[in-house]
Amino acid sequence: MKRNRLGDSAIIIVAVVIIALSLGTYANFSGEPQVHVRTDNGEFIYDLSVDTFATFAGPVGDTTIEIHEGKVHVHDSDCRNKVCISAGWVSRPGDWIICLPNNVFVLIEGSIQNNEGGVDDTAF
Amino acid sequence: MGLVALPAILLQDNLPGILLQTLYVIVLAVSHGRKFRVLPNLILLVSVSSAHLLQPNGLHLFSIGSFPITVGALLLGARKAFTLISLLYLSHYMITGKPQFPGKLGRLISLQFYYFDAITTRWRSITPKRPFIAAIDQLMHSLAADNLTEAAASQPIATSSSQPQASHRALIANGIHLLVFWGLFLLGSLRILPALM
Amino acid sequence: MIPHSKHNRPIQIEFVALLAAFALFLSTVEYLIPKPLPFMRIGLANLPLIIGLGLLNDREYLLLAFLKVLGQGLVTGSLFSYIILFSFGGTVSSAFIMYVLYKYGRTWISLIGVSVAGAMASNITQLQLSRLILFGDAARLIAPPFLVVGLITSIILGIFAEQFVSRSTWYQSQLEGNT
Repeated sequence: MKRNRLGDSAIIIVAVVIIALSLGTYANFSGEPQVHVRTDNGEFIYDLSVDTFATFAGPVGDTTIEIHEGKVHVHDSDCRNKVCISAGWVSRPGDWIICLPNNVFVLIEGSIQNNEGGVDDTAF
Repeated sequence: MGLVALPAILLQDNLPGILLQTLYVIVLAVSHGRKFRVLPNLILLVSVSSAHLLQPNGLHLFSIGSFPITVGALLLGARKAFTLISLLYLSHYMITGKPQFPGKLGRLISLQFYYFDAITTRWRSITPKRPFIAAIDQLMHSLAADNLTEAAASQPIATSSSQPQASHRALIANGIHLLVFWGLFLLGSLRILPALM
Repeated sequence: MIPHSKHNRPIQIEFVALLAAFALFLSTVEYLIPKPLPFMRIGLANLPLIIGLGLLNDREYLLLAFLKVLGQGLVTGSLFSYIILFSFGGTVSSAFIMYVLYKYGRTWISLIGVSVAGAMASNITQLQLSRLILFGDAARLIAPPFLVVGLITSIILGIFAEQFVSRSTWYQSQLEGNT
């Protein structure tokens, strides 16, 4: 009977290891970067890792942002100068883009992941 | 009917649309005898919606601590939960007709349920139930002793031809159901119903 | 019971159906046990799948797994919903691992290890499926407690299976019919 227990113990150890690894997800959650968009209508939040488009209405029309592959930029906007569009893509916490005429403020919040080094940015 | 209605529910990505479809399915199932209990469905709705909150999306309503509660995430979660609920009740409705699977598979399933019935009835009359293993042995021996296996093997094979011909009323009813499901799907996908998301 | 060798005989339909019926019976028993959280499952219905390992050949075992899923789907009315996918995925992956472990690892592993491996396979498969279909990445959050409960219950289940196999007279008579 003793030899039977050897394999059993091995399996149980493997199971415990798997469970311990799954606990690692709890550590990551608070640091995930988010895209915060503040407009006249309120604050909108999006996950930086989920590709999507989002449109916001403002005094001069609509501003649309695109989140793609962990980066965000202003895809289109009804403002005259389109400065916000020319700002290009941003992806690091603390980066921001603003469309002043349309009152759309895009900010990336979150803490920097470990492998990039660096200091935590302070959020607004 | 159920299988044809299935895609109309699965592909629905419009929240009011799936809500209406779900309500319709629940009424359908309840009218065929299935019970509707609020609590398990509510738990389903809440848990799926909360799970989706982990990926913030849309208007930020308020925060619990540093955890944002967003409208878009809630709506997405609600839509998925309602899809699941409507699928559940759709399948409830489909089996109220006591479907018979044709052929060998049907025989297997009826065998299984025949034994299931026998086990549940006999288990009640077995005392003492401790120690368990001895009680199970007793159950199994009694099944064998009554030559149940032979009786089961000679069970009349239920085939689909034993079902009464579909009446005209049933056909019309099914047609109406399909119209409702697919109609709601169309309304949803054409954005005639507000998307809310 | 015709004494054929386990591997050459024609599929014993009645016996498989009997075990499958037991699985149904155990699922209803489990259903009646009140649980604080709806997703914490005990997996009682897997017991026939564990006990059947010593009695069935590979085709019969596959049939048992299939009937178990089908029966549960019919009884809970979830035959045409997402849930049947979870049940199917979990049961099939679990059955596969358990059968392989039992067939080749009997010198090292008892039914306890088999039960744990089966439960882990089933739970991980179901977590991944729910991540894809229903919950998204949030499924990772439920994973640890779900897996822990699965580990504990599968150990208990395995211990019971071991006891049953050694003490049940019915089991012994089935074994004798096989050899």
